Amino acid sequence: MIFTIFKKELKDTLRDRRTIIAMIVVPILVFPIILALSSTVTKYFDDKQKEEVLKIALISDATDNQFTQRLSAIPDSLGPKELIFRQDTVGLNNEISIDSIQLAFVIPSNFDQDQDSNKQSTIQVYHKGVNLGNKERVKDYLSLIENTLLQERFQRLNLDKQLIDPINEEFIDISSKKEIIGKIAGGFLPYLFIIFGFIGCMYPAIDLFTGEKERKTLETLLTTPVPRWKILIGKMMVISLSGIAAAIFALVGMFAGLRLFNIVDIPGLSAVIDGILTPQFILGLLVLLLPLTIFFAGIMIPATIYAKSFKEAQSVLTPVNFIILLPAFVGMLPNIELDYTTAFIPIVNIVLATKEMVSGTIDPILLIISYLVMVAVAGISVLFSYRRFGKESNIVS
Amino acid sequence: MIQVENIRKEFELTKKQQKENNTKNKVALAVDDVSFECQPGRIFSLLGPNGAGKTTTLRMLAGILKPTQGSIKINGIDIQKHANEAKKDIGFLTGSTGLYERLTPNEIIEYFAKLYGVAKEDYEERKDNLYTLLGMHDFQDKRIGRLSTGMKQKVSIARTMIHDPKVVIFDEPTSGLDVITAENIIKLIGDCKTQGKTVIFSSHIMSEVDLLCDDLAIIHKGTIIHRSSMNEFREDMQTDNLTAEFIRIINANN
Repeated sequence: MIFTIFKKELKDTLRDRRTIIAMIVVPILVFPIILALSSTVTKYFDDKQKEEVLKIALISDATDNQFTQRLSAIPDSLGPKELIFRQDTVGLNNEISIDSIQLAFVIPSNFDQDQDSNKQSTIQVYHKGVNLGNKERVKDYLSLIENTLLQERFQRLNLDKQLIDPINEEFIDISSKKEIIGKIAGGFLPYLFIIFGFIGCMYPAIDLFTGEKERKTLETLLTTPVPRWKILIGKMMVISLSGIAAAIFALVGMFAGLRLFNIVDIPGLSAVIDGILTPQFILGLLVLLLPLTIFFAGIMIPATIYAKSFKEAQSVLTPVNFIILLPAFVGMLPNIELDYTTAFIPIVNIVLATKEMVSGTIDPILLIISYLVMVAVAGISVLFSYRRFGKESNIVS
Repeated sequence: MIQVENIRKEFELTKKQQKENNTKNKVALAVDDVSFECQPGRIFSLLGPNGAGKTTTLRMLAGILKPTQGSIKINGIDIQKHANEAKKDIGFLTGSTGLYERLTPNEIIEYFAKLYGVAKEDYEERKDNLYTLLGMHDFQDKRIGRLSTGMKQKVSIARTMIHDPKVVIFDEPTSGLDVITAENIIKLIGDCKTQGKTVIFSSHIMSEVDLLCDDLAIIHKGTIIHRSSMNEFREDMQTDNLTAEFIRIINANN
């Protein structure tokens, strides 16, 4: 009987345009579109900044000091620049503020003397803090100039540069590419599952409960000799399946976006994606998603049974979406890992377990604990739904 | 057969509802001490003005609501104790029944046949009979959303009768329907009687009652204020038509 209800509800759901959009179209398209847009926009701004001629004012008594010489010598590959010489700082603030000049260096008159006598000089840099890119370029310029000055000092003093660099660090990274991507994507993937799993569950949940009330079909269904729990389970299966489908479609969309369209240019990415997307991983993911989406269905159903209209149900569930997203943010934090404490926190444990699964470092015991905790929470939410579904005031308008 | 004994139905009121109804009572009494019996092969009519408790009573008979007190037996089966067993014998149709808009008549009829556990051969035969009787063959594969109100009502009828219920409950079945569509329902109620089914229907349209009814009860403010056979009702009439008599009885009990 549960299967009969499931089959009918699935057919009904798949004929609903809203559900199809939320379950398939949006999840599949959203990532390729976001990835394509963000990489295009980033590239555009990067190119624009590289081409932009930076007008730099140099304020000093003499135009041929060592600082000016070195600055002029920096090649344009770091970005084209135009140097303007000034004697004083009159009107400088205004010019930088209206962007007719982007930067100004105030070079002390005794700069050369100080450098020759191995002293420290102070260079004032006028800039507009809101233009972040300009500050970066200043740092690049200054470190280049400082390096050359330092080298000259060492030569002059006949010293080895190692004197101020007692340790030469050599990093040998033994983490695999899979782990690196796992740490990055691993935080993001569960977030993806939660947001799309939730949205995927939401529309069918509203349609199968509030919708039945609104269209006055629930009353007829309740006159049939089918126990209410079977009706509930049949409907819940469709909601959960829809959530899983939305999450899977989002995953497909993301990987297709990364792989097929080469939107993000990281060498070796395809191989890493193939490494992550193993049948075991996909199976593991489905197993984790199952209690998660059942839990979603379990918390949505009471709200959708209570609501009298589609709009009301939607306005009740939207804030719940934000609450559910909070634990997903935790998964994005770099230093929180699956341990004997976090494994007991529902949703957080699923987020962290997915993260570990992606990087291939999952502890099976912690995975089992996380899973059991999630199953228990899903069970409680189903029970709660059942109670609400049995309440007469909720089902009869 | 339907046997209703001293049923009472209270609804819990939320604080909001208490405020709206300007009452401090935590419960609202919808039906109080209602008893009656509907015999097979006879049509029982439950009459009453809006808000009298007709729908609540019929919903209790159909097993959608549980009575706070009292007992309901459908063909001897206590619906509170064996709800699913009793429901197999019931067909329930209201004037405002909705249908799944995205499904076709065939899909809906098949779904309900399965929910009622109808055997495949019985289903095919009954479906064919009902489709012929109601003239449904032409639109059996169209989605409900594209059907007219009359067509939808025919699908509702077929849906109600597909499991060949022994007891049929009609809650204001013709309300909001045009005369031609309403005629289908009137005919269905009449057919149920000739087939020996137990029929109960609620209405406030006295012409329908006059045409169909064998026994009747008038419910007002949740209690039965009149119960008799239709013949007795006609004989004891103090006014010159059924509607006037109905109003007189209601006013006398206000």
